[in-house]
Amino acid sequence: MQIFNDYKDHADFLTVYVREAHPTDEWQMKSNVKEDVCYAQPKTLEQRLAIANDFTKRYSFPIPFGIDDMSNTVNDLYAAWPERLYILDESGRIAYRGGMGPFNYSPKEVRAWLAAKYGEVKHPEAKPEEKPLDKAGQTSGSTVEKPQSTNTPK
Amino acid sequence: MWIGITVGALIVIGFGVLSTMAGSPKDAFLMVRYAFPHMRSGNLKVGDFAPDARLVALNGSDHFRVRDRVAGKPLVLIFGSFT
Repeated sequence: MQIFNDYKDHADFLTVYVREAHPTDEWQMKSNVKEDVCYAQPKTLEQRLAIANDFTKRYSFPIPFGIDDMSNTVNDLYAAWPERLYILDESGRIAYRGGMGPFNYSPKEVRAWLAAKYGEVKHPEAKPEEKPLDKAGQTSGSTVEKPQSTNTPK
Repeated sequence: MWIGITVGALIVIGFGVLSTMAGSPKDAFLMVRYAFPHMRSGNLKVGDFAPDARLVALNGSDHFRVRDRVAGKPLVLIFGSFT
């Protein structure tokens, strides 16, 4: 969310809701019970819409939102499940492809890509622990194209 | 016989590693049952044109395409779910 606030003037953001990762009828996590995030795996688009709307309302989620169809078309195209980050450049090519979540899901890498292109946005509470891109523009668990200096969250 | 013992030991070790990763043996079983079948590394690479597809808007009646959102700026795509 902080990345969105920091770079929304430079980049567009789109959240894509894909099939649930830890629904009650599959692999439910204790943390979800604790946080009262308990949903069965949607069987219909209406059920997906209901969960997506619950999410955006609960967190007053400001980032534009799209929902995958029940054939999981976008999920399959992007190998997105359970969570993954991409950056597309201005021409529609993939400039950054994050690793598969949760272990290789790294908003820090997205921030690093955006910071390299548009400049770093510092916050007093921010910890300087982000992994910098190496010379080849690579970070662990992901592939990234180092941005050209021209004029962009979970 | 040694082959069987070795294979068995590898299975036990593998399940132990999964249990550690997942949090418990039950979680490891559920991971294998429900998560592994949906995990894909995919074959998209940096530099590829991003695949296009239709998405449903939150209101349930409007639709748009991923490419529609590429409009002169980089587009950060955030895939995920609530749970």
